[in-house]
Amino acid sequence: MSTPRPAPPRRKGPSALATVITVVVVGVHVLAWQATEFSPATLVQGWRGMADFFAQALPPDLSGEVLGPSVAAALVTLCIGLLGTTLSIPFALVLALLAARATTPGVWAYQAARSLLSFLRAVPDVVFALVFVTAVGLGPFAGVLALIFHNTGVMGKLWAEAMEEIDLGPRDALTVAGASKIQSAAHAVLPSVVPQFLGLLLYRFDVNVRSSLVLGLVGAGGIGFLINQSIRLFRFDEMVTHILVVLVLVIAVDQSSAYIRRRIAT
Amino acid sequence: MLEVAGLRKSYAGRVVLDDFDLVVRPGELVALLGANGCGKSTALRCVAGLETPDGGRVVMDGRPAMVFQQIHLVKRRSALDNVCAGALGRLPLRHSLAPVLFPRDLREEAMTCLDRVGLASRAGEPAGRLSGGQQQRVAIARALCQRARVVLADEPVSALDPSAADQVVALLADLAHAQHLAVGAVLHQPALARRYADRVVGMVSGRAVVDAPPADIADLDVLYATGTP
Ligand SMILES: Nc1ncnc2c1ncn2[C@@H]1O[C@H](COP(=O)(O)OP(=O)(O)OP(=O)(O)O)[C@@H](O)[C@H]1O
Ligand SMILES: [Mg+2]
Repeated sequence: MSTPRPAPPRRKGPSALATVITVVVVGVHVLAWQATEFSPATLVQGWRGMADFFAQALPPDLSGEVLGPSVAAALVTLCIGLLGTTLSIPFALVLALLAARATTPGVWAYQAARSLLSFLRAVPDVVFALVFVTAVGLGPFAGVLALIFHNTGVMGKLWAEAMEEIDLGPRDALTVAGASKIQSAAHAVLPSVVPQFLGLLLYRFDVNVRSSLVLGLVGAGGIGFLINQSIRLFRFDEMVTHILVVLVLVIAVDQSSAYIRRRIAT
Repeated sequence: MLEVAGLRKSYAGRVVLDDFDLVVRPGELVALLGANGCGKSTALRCVAGLETPDGGRVVMDGRPAMVFQQIHLVKRRSALDNVCAGALGRLPLRHSLAPVLFPRDLREEAMTCLDRVGLASRAGEPAGRLSGGQQQRVAIARALCQRARVVLADEPVSALDPSAADQVVALLADLAHAQHLAVGAVLHQPALARRYADRVVGMVSGRAVVDAPPADIADLDVLYATGTP
């Protein structure tokens, strides 16, 4: 006598929930298509405009009168990104220490620091830049201020998360020995996260240099400002020069920060 | 001197420590034995202040020092800096915000402590580069640098090979006897307890059920037979 072979479970059809989700997702995309006036036909019809643009833009104007100021402005952009990152370190560090369970002095400080970080993160750096331009006038200083504020929010949060990951044993050992919160942060928590902190710092520097470009477009100095100017004067050949310079800057920063991060990780 | 009386602790209604008593006198190594989950770590953590007991009394000279199975040194820092960190509780912030600020006499004291555990020659090396047994001895040196009179050790040798384990327990016994420290150590090796401990406290389900010199206990295995919940 043979035992009956167990039947394989029948494959189920899509559930009602799956159907609803599919309909909703498709519907939302149709609405988004209309809201953005998405239209490939318009793009095709506009080819002549694009051709005109490229005819004026190419070849780029690589003469010294354009390239010189372009490189100088690119260096200003780099400096905005650098200062915006470096000067946010103390604020990000203090807020991160308050916003990580390993180091926070209490629930109240933890919640307050988390809320402040969320706020700084939620306000885009361009908005901060517009605010500071009205306060300190057009120019790179407004860009630096904007980056300090926004980057404090992002980097503080990333650093706090890095500290949430670590083993709390070394901190507990020092707490038993009578170390204060600040002492155990300095001697147990922070030493364990130095490589992560440096990696995140370099990553933010990389992002901030690119942001400071956009900040220039709203008047906060650097090469973004030049790009904005050349568009207004219809000097597209100069604009392409600026963009090429930006490309070199961004690739250089990206590659060197990636290289250093790899060295730290090993 | 460490005196624990009537210690109670439960987690979410589950009783982990049930009227737990323990006395460790200066100059004595007491081995705490018991099956997994009987509450040994919880008892030590309550004594050390890492957990708040629901009730009971803990009296001791000053702050205890704690030594862990996972060692818990800062691996990137030198052995010497790790030992100095034991003194944080008595240092003002201006002398303790970074290792470079540690006063000179503290460094000298820490070197003496490292020498006591036989590792003075490795003082400058990052703690993470030492072997497990050496790291545990650095952790014991940190406890000495804390000038603790009571040392609690939670399975200090469970991650070590037999010879390193023997060396570390021998060191704990020697410190208890020579320096008059009160040392309470959780051990999972009855043989080591027999060889080095002055007294054995056996724990079953959150309660001390045996308390005697090892020579007076015929069979330590009985603790494990009845202990499993
Ligand atoms: N933070 C906690 N929350 C909830 N339950 C806990 C907590 N800590 C310990 N327990 C429980 O308390 C009991 C005793 O744990 P404890 O770690 O003290 O045992 P132990 O005797 O040290 O065991 P082992 O020999 O495995 O180290 C266990 O059942 C454990 O699940
Ligand atoms: Mg345990």
